[in-house]
Amino acid sequence: MAGGSPMGPARHREPSQVIAFIIRRLLAAVLLLLVVGFVTFIIFFWVPKLAGQNSYALASQFVGKDATQATVRAIEKKYGFDKPVIVQYWRFMKNLVTGTKYDAGPVKTTCNFPCFGVSFKSQTPVWPLIKDRIPVTMSLAIGAAVIWLVSGVIAGVISAVKRGKFIDRAVMAVALAGVSAPIFFTGLVALSLFSYKWPLFPNIHYVSILDNPFLWFGNLVLPWVTLALLYGALYARLMRAGMLETLNEDYIRTARAKGLPERTVIAKHAVRAALTPILTIFGLDLGLLVGGAILTEYTFSLPGVGQFAKQAIDNNDLPEIFGVTLVAAFFVIMANLVVDILYAVIDPRVRLS
Amino acid sequence: MKIPGWKKPVVLVVCAGMSVALAACTGSKSKGGTGGGGSGTATATAGPSTGATKSTGPSGPTKSGGGRTQTSGAVYSAANAKIVNPSTKAGGTLRFASSDEPDSTDPGDTYYAWMWDFSRLYGRALMSFKPGPGKAGLQLTPDLATAPGKVSSDGMTWTYHIKSGVKFEDGTPVTTKDIKYAVERSNYAKDVLPNGPSYFATYLKDPKYPGPYKDKAKDKLGLTSVDTPNDTTIIFHLAQPFSDFDYLATSPQTFPVPPGKDTGAKYREHPVSTGPYKFSGYSEGKGFALVRNKYWSNKADPLRAALPDKITVQYHVNADDLDQKLMSGNLDVDSAGTGVQAAARAQILSPGSKYKHDSDDALSGFTWFIYIGSKIKPLDNVHCRRAVEYAANKTDMQTAYGGPVAGGDIASTVMPPNVSGYQKFDLYEATTKPTGDQEMAKKELKACGQPNGFSTNISIRGDRPKEVASSQALQQALSKVGIKTSIQKYPAGKYFKNFAGNLSFSHSHDLGLMYGGWAADWPTGFGFLSQIIDGRAIKPAGNNNLSEINSPAINGMLDKTSRLTSIAARNKIYGQLDKMVMQDGYFLPEVYAKSLLYRPKNLTNVYVTQAYGMYDYTQLGVTK
Amino acid sequence: MTAPQRRWGRRPTAAPADREADAPFLEVEGLTVHFPTDDGLVKSVDGLGFNLSKGRSLGIVGESGSGKSVTSMAIMGLHKAGSARISGSIKLDGEELVGAQPERVRRLRGRKMAMIFQDPLSAMHPYYTVGAQIIEAYRVHNDVPKSKARAHSIDLLGRVGIPQPASRVDDYPHQFSGGMRQRAMIAMALSCDPELLIADEPTTALDVTVQAQILDLIRDLQQERGSAVIIITHDLGVVAEVADDILVMYAGKAVENATTEQIFYDPKHPYTWGLLGSMPRLDRERAERLVPIQGTPPSLIRVPSGCSFHPRCEFADRNGDLSTTVVPELTDAGGSHLVACHLSGRERTQIWRDEVAPRLGMVEQRPGGRA
Repeated sequence: MAGGSPMGPARHREPSQVIAFIIRRLLAAVLLLLVVGFVTFIIFFWVPKLAGQNSYALASQFVGKDATQATVRAIEKKYGFDKPVIVQYWRFMKNLVTGTKYDAGPVKTTCNFPCFGVSFKSQTPVWPLIKDRIPVTMSLAIGAAVIWLVSGVIAGVISAVKRGKFIDRAVMAVALAGVSAPIFFTGLVALSLFSYKWPLFPNIHYVSILDNPFLWFGNLVLPWVTLALLYGALYARLMRAGMLETLNEDYIRTARAKGLPERTVIAKHAVRAALTPILTIFGLDLGLLVGGAILTEYTFSLPGVGQFAKQAIDNNDLPEIFGVTLVAAFFVIMANLVVDILYAVIDPRVRLS
Repeated sequence: MKIPGWKKPVVLVVCAGMSVALAACTGSKSKGGTGGGGSGTATATAGPSTGATKSTGPSGPTKSGGGRTQTSGAVYSAANAKIVNPSTKAGGTLRFASSDEPDSTDPGDTYYAWMWDFSRLYGRALMSFKPGPGKAGLQLTPDLATAPGKVSSDGMTWTYHIKSGVKFEDGTPVTTKDIKYAVERSNYAKDVLPNGPSYFATYLKDPKYPGPYKDKAKDKLGLTSVDTPNDTTIIFHLAQPFSDFDYLATSPQTFPVPPGKDTGAKYREHPVSTGPYKFSGYSEGKGFALVRNKYWSNKADPLRAALPDKITVQYHVNADDLDQKLMSGNLDVDSAGTGVQAAARAQILSPGSKYKHDSDDALSGFTWFIYIGSKIKPLDNVHCRRAVEYAANKTDMQTAYGGPVAGGDIASTVMPPNVSGYQKFDLYEATTKPTGDQEMAKKELKACGQPNGFSTNISIRGDRPKEVASSQALQQALSKVGIKTSIQKYPAGKYFKNFAGNLSFSHSHDLGLMYGGWAADWPTGFGFLSQIIDGRAIKPAGNNNLSEINSPAINGMLDKTSRLTSIAARNKIYGQLDKMVMQDGYFLPEVYAKSLLYRPKNLTNVYVTQAYGMYDYTQLGVTK
Repeated sequence: MTAPQRRWGRRPTAAPADREADAPFLEVEGLTVHFPTDDGLVKSVDGLGFNLSKGRSLGIVGESGSGKSVTSMAIMGLHKAGSARISGSIKLDGEELVGAQPERVRRLRGRKMAMIFQDPLSAMHPYYTVGAQIIEAYRVHNDVPKSKARAHSIDLLGRVGIPQPASRVDDYPHQFSGGMRQRAMIAMALSCDPELLIADEPTTALDVTVQAQILDLIRDLQQERGSAVIIITHDLGVVAEVADDILVMYAGKAVENATTEQIFYDPKHPYTWGLLGSMPRLDRERAERLVPIQGTPPSLIRVPSGCSFHPRCEFADRNGDLSTTVVPELTDAGGSHLVACHLSGRERTQIWRDEVAPRLGMVEQRPGGRA
């Protein structure tokens, strides 16, 4: 919205400073991922142990229904449940980096970097399974993000500018409803209205954008809108609050005193400033969503990372849980990093350190 | 076994430790099972096949020149008794979807009921079930084999010859060695392929065989209890007589697997086909697609219609969404075959619904019943058990399970009608006085020496709303004749291991009435009854014979059926066994479970096969 | 109302170019600015009137809440239409601003009248460079290419005393020091060569040495351009530096309006006396304590009856109950010295001479004595 004015980034920031910042943050991210991985392990192994479960019982979750004791023991050994948790953790982390091979009967399964292990259920390496689903979740998250960011910001701005007027109350009422309604509710309502009753979007199923961009779009409209309704409502409220605060700022008064048209004052001066905190939250939300929009994916049967996460948890499949947790954490960390850099670009007062 | 998702820990313990386990897990959350009842009872579901089916083969479709008369198939529950929309039209894509995913698409590694039905599209077992609605589905017919197994006089050896000219999808001829290898890998390599049952390992002679992946033999065919004297003959040597062996031979575990093409755990991604279709796309956790296998020919395989050109299976479609997609024609089959969800059921059964004609209320193969503990005083007295049988209000219990459509018909026997050997009888007026007969109950109480009633405990899986509701109905009905009960709730996941199925627990906690249910892995009386009435199957934990029936007569009769070669004779005994345990009041049957299946108009050649309690996936076609 | 002729000037002033010398450039008459709130009507400005000619500078003085800033915002048309009720008349160069089309007033803002704000850090947008903000101010009223506007803004920055303006033009406000920011702010206000410049507490946020520089700058620029200037401050010291005339406001009303000399050497309103008493002065004995005005500023919702200053005025009881019942009119007490007070001229002179002036240490002093 900088409207073509010479309002570029600060010239006083050295590129080397940015690179050092990124490297520092990436190192911290690795450390954080180690911790996240460890916590996942703790939850997986120690919490059931507190409830009295032993490794045999754990192994017995991953065998057929009439498995013999020997079978369970074999599985227990195969998955390494008989080893101390710390050893298993070390093995997972080592394999994550170096990759490994798993016994799949007559052949070996090769698990390359990043090797989160081999799924207990499907016995295939986890990373390709997740990787395969990232485009789905990306499509969902980014599409919805565009909608909610644009609509939320516009609604928030209108609401703030028309504060106390009917349109403000109407927008805020919708926003309250949007924030309050859970996705599995709004999603089902959207489905039953626009997919079942009036089949504007019949037979919603994911189609890759590479296969058919039109189908990709058409099938994602409802999930986008559903997801965007929740976030858009949230953002409208945030944006409204931010705008009201910003509109009281001295520099807005200055902008008006300069004789700028109100449109310019709002769009160029107020929105820009009010948008900055929104952007921070936006980055985090997007990072979280790319790590899996579980409810939306479940409701609309989209084979994304969130659906994968749900299945992983349903199946108590450690490598899958481990993998999806780390991948999700990675996205959040990356989103954070991008937000921080972006923040520095937007707000010249911010220094990367 | 009818229920997908059984493998989750919750259900697992129920199943663990079934060494001979013929029967499936006693139910897990039945997808079609929640919510309100429906209108009216279904039309006869198990009657002899009316109309459409000829003796063998996909008769309706292949000879349907005159099939016009049958095209008015749009009748509620029509597919239970006849072929709906018979067709021979080939082509199109048949679209399956599931709200879940199966344990595996590897025929040697699956225990999902629908996979046993479905996998026949890409593999051929030694034996199969006759295509056709009604009782036909319970009849065995050779598939790869030229004839049913030839059993030795001592009942210990089963010999099969296979048809010549059968080829894998790559054109290599199928030999009996491939079948032997399939049995080896599916039964003796549980660390790699853990999911399927182990019946062959149980009945075959050498239990110590380490499995093909650890086999020292060069050809990996070191299992000594299976001989393949030539490429078309295979001989199974059993450790004990087992007359239902032909049923075992229907299992996908006998789909031939070429040893050189076995990729172990990865085989699921592309099982080498012997059926009309082969894998053309597999996406782990998402689904797969099948296309025609050019080395399969209709002439050499009369059992499969093979109408569509392509078949797709999509996993993890939200269950309610799936129903809607079926009803809007965007999907063809809910592969799980367990029926629609509550929302769609309400839609289908609502008055004047346009969907009702396109749905079938099918028997799933489950019976929900209550074990009556014969070692728990005073239920050790048969009269006290019979008092319970009479006093129970079956209508209320049926309502608790969802009414006649969602729950099922009131049961008066242990075996459901879609099991070979089922005989209809009603010893305790379950169908004639479904709300209970207090007079008879009091009479039995007097005979038991408890004229004023007695006290006992009801055990249920507290996390199953239907059992909670049913047990409350039972409690109320029993209290009317003076039987005071207390309902004990236990977690379903450990119900059989730690609670009701744990003898010391059930004895010390006086669990006289224990909720449960059962379905067979193959539709015979033996398959259904042996685990729950054989005294030798009683285990201190993980027990399935909760009534603790241990009668030399019953045990002897079960043994006898193992040796009887005549199916008719065996079936007769199964009926007798059912009657014996009912006479002694060991079980209080509730309902024969049903699933409300939806059949989109697009679907042709539709009928419910009793072999699997769902549509016969080998016969389906599509109009577009 | 005739324009009072106040030609007391310590320095020569540029004559207005295109208007008659006696026609005031800004005429404010009967201005009221009221804010309806949940608690009641806030009468921030209530019947204010004053005039300002080109080349003159007016200091508006008063405590916070006296209505100074509200007045300046009203002149600039910066009050929100919904929240403020404005009546009376504001005429800029003969053009009525009250009730004028907002778009019309906007076009005047920044071009014909400009404003300098108190805290230049918060008054400049933190995300845009100083240059960009000046360019924007220039281009909104002048259809010139960006490069030309940029050259103009560099020129302006140089004129307000920013060193190396060609490179500092691309700095962000936070990269400037406080004084430099205020200079930049002034440059921005001057970008369209306004004929009326309103400086609202222009030096409050700055330290003393910088204050003097900024005031010098404002004075010099005014001299150079001959524009009309309003300086709003609570600090009499500041107006003493810059203003030709002083308007003292209390509770939304003018209580005294005279030349700077008159205000300092012959103040007539007790409130002005109080202000003078609370002003630190270099020429006063350090031992003498500052005398703050007793009491607190009045509520603008429930303004005291009569003279709104009466609850704080130590001389209120000298007129019977006149002070509590009758609102004093702003009247000429001689020499175009306007004052709104019930004290009679004689009484006032006596009080000033005998009681107040000695207290302030101002006896017998004449102008020119201050640093």
